[in-house]
Amino acid sequence: MKTLKYIWRNVMRNKLRSSLTILSVGFSLALMTILHGYMAMQDEWGAEAAKHHRIVVMSTMGFSGEVPIANVDRVRSMENVKAAVPYSWYGGMYKDQQMAFAQFATDPKEVFNVWPEYKIDPQQLKEFQSDRQACVADRRLAQRMKWEIGERIPLQGTFFTFNLDLKLVGVFDSPQNTDSLWFNWSYLDEGLKAQSSEMAGNAGTVFAKTADAPSMATVCKAIDERFASSDNPTRTQTESAFAQMFTDMIGNIQVFILVIGLAVVFSLTLVAATAMAMSMRERTTEVAVLKAIGFSKLRVLWMVLGESCWIAFLGGLLGIGIGCLCLEGLHNLSAQFFPFSIVEMAGPWLLILMLIAAGIGFVSGIVPAIRAAQLSVIDGLRRVI
Amino acid sequence: MIPLKYNLRNLRARWVTTLMTVVATGWVVWATVLTFGMTDGLEHALRISGDALDIIVMRKGSDAETSSAIESQTAREITNLDGIAKSADGAPLSSTEFVTIFTKPRRNNGGTTNLIVRGVESVARELRPDFQIVEGRDIKSGVNEIITSRQMAERFENLAIGEKLEINKIDFNVVGYFEAGGSAAESEVWTDLNDLTSARRVQGAISIVNLRARDLESRDKLIEQLVSDERFKLKAITETAYFESQMSASIAIRFIGYVIGGFLTFGAMFAAANTMYAAVASRGREIGTLRAIGFSRSSILVSFLVESMVLCLLGGLLGCLATLPFNGISTGTANWATFSEITFSFRFGPWILARGVIMALVMGLLGGLFPAVRAIRLKIVDALRQA
Repeated sequence: MKTLKYIWRNVMRNKLRSSLTILSVGFSLALMTILHGYMAMQDEWGAEAAKHHRIVVMSTMGFSGEVPIANVDRVRSMENVKAAVPYSWYGGMYKDQQMAFAQFATDPKEVFNVWPEYKIDPQQLKEFQSDRQACVADRRLAQRMKWEIGERIPLQGTFFTFNLDLKLVGVFDSPQNTDSLWFNWSYLDEGLKAQSSEMAGNAGTVFAKTADAPSMATVCKAIDERFASSDNPTRTQTESAFAQMFTDMIGNIQVFILVIGLAVVFSLTLVAATAMAMSMRERTTEVAVLKAIGFSKLRVLWMVLGESCWIAFLGGLLGIGIGCLCLEGLHNLSAQFFPFSIVEMAGPWLLILMLIAAGIGFVSGIVPAIRAAQLSVIDGLRRVI
Repeated sequence: MIPLKYNLRNLRARWVTTLMTVVATGWVVWATVLTFGMTDGLEHALRISGDALDIIVMRKGSDAETSSAIESQTAREITNLDGIAKSADGAPLSSTEFVTIFTKPRRNNGGTTNLIVRGVESVARELRPDFQIVEGRDIKSGVNEIITSRQMAERFENLAIGEKLEINKIDFNVVGYFEAGGSAAESEVWTDLNDLTSARRVQGAISIVNLRARDLESRDKLIEQLVSDERFKLKAITETAYFESQMSASIAIRFIGYVIGGFLTFGAMFAAANTMYAAVASRGREIGTLRAIGFSRSSILVSFLVESMVLCLLGGLLGCLATLPFNGISTGTANWATFSEITFSFRFGPWILARGVIMALVMGLLGGLFPAVRAIRLKIVDALRQA
């Protein structure tokens, strides 16, 4: 206990130096928290997607390919498939803003069976199903855009040549903010047909809910086999693999983040070590006195190490705090790209960052600690700083 | 003025602290410059892909070549328009191309991503900057052969010379590697137009027409003519504008770069401040002496600021130097406009390196400011009396 108090006093002795080191460690760890938070978000996305055993059917050609609308019924009729809907990315502009939020063309009758965890008022659902131009939105999206029920939402197509004039009839609650709007696929398709566009009749992708987790793989395989020799062969994967695909596309960024993280840890260790060495140099006489009155080598060693760990730990606490605030801010700014709030993402990775902070303290303190422990009492007392 | 030598000698006298601070700031600058080098490489690849005289003709409403489709009748009419430049043998420089995407695995378990396969006629080569075959040979039509760039062969499974890429259960042999001046074409796989459309079972399909205008005047006239013709329902934009619109791919990386740069600059600034405070604290008597023999407060302030900036500058230069081995190393990421892979090389132009150096100077200036102010606030008598 006494040692702890002594360590704390030492930390507080040169407040300026300690706080500078803490700030230095803090800002750099804040960066690491943000980068790792981003990676944790990708993992969380995959884990969340795995819970609901949904599968995604897309063309082997990727997003530019076609999945004929008739295939939705074929998928629906297959064994172990509970529900299936077309799910087509519209990507339109709202009030001259591109990508203001996500818009999907889907089937109002079935869509809440594929996403049963999304809740909507039955009356609103009925209206969504009966009005061709109706649309529903995530409650948080509606709040962000300040939409009222009954509001008209015009969307201008970017790659679709047909512009939409939608009416908001309801909002749904989802576990995470999806930042998306759903409208009737048939409304879009009829518009395209009227223009005799060759983009008509395309479901985009098909989202389907399977009976249980074990059947997912067999259903995926069965679907692909069924369409393999058709004009539009498909590639079916689980929702989490689908999510993983987007992560994969970004490519080497993850390795890059790790490299940057290592560089940061390394330079932080140097920074903290310099500060610690400076502190100990000023205290040479003091350490000699401690040893002269009977402090053991080990105790001196632990005192110095304790001090450096404390400082780095406080820096870590500060950094992770700032980092989490930033992540939360990004989530509130754009739920489409940062779908999880910090509370949902919190996990062992935060603890690991905390340990990294303490580790930085340990490594940076080790050389000054050993030097202090090895200090000869006579030399130390004689040295004048 | 206090000579610079005084500061340099001081840095040398405390060489362990100096070295550690230099290495720490060096790492920070390195990490930031690396990110900017990535953005610069990506943007460079897109920028040089566009020729000011070239026009890309797509279906009205398409954002990217991959979502475009043009009827072959229309494509033929476009080729005969007036104002298109002619090649050496008198044929119009107008290339009808079919662009499609396949999801293919990267090498070394790098996950799967989308790959652009482009079906071309021979004229397409003249429309790309410095197109040349660098290994193997060019494709022959009708026998399902493909060529690609060396970077793509290294990044993707089944794309090395001698390997086979499967397209709709038909094997395409890789017969050569090409270069196209580092442009976006080097992120693609090329094959014969008819071979590709037959394999995809969409005979006669055309995605885009790429053409070169005779001069800027006829370019504007051509665009005007193509867009206004109601029969065509086409969108015609200059290649430069087309690739400019794909820069969105680099925005995310640029954002990451600024976040990294911002946070780390702060972190390193505090580290530099720490070092400089220690320097000021241990040199009280020196400062007192300098004042006593007549150096003004302002020259002492400048001297400490210079020392701090030199300290960080050393780190900055070291960090910039350490990025140079990465220059030209190729990597890839998603081009969100086409949902496909784009390869590019790290590029550390003078401006990128200058940004790293400026960052280091800012660290030194801000980090040294408060310690320098403390130094000049010392009273001469107190300073001289210090142990």
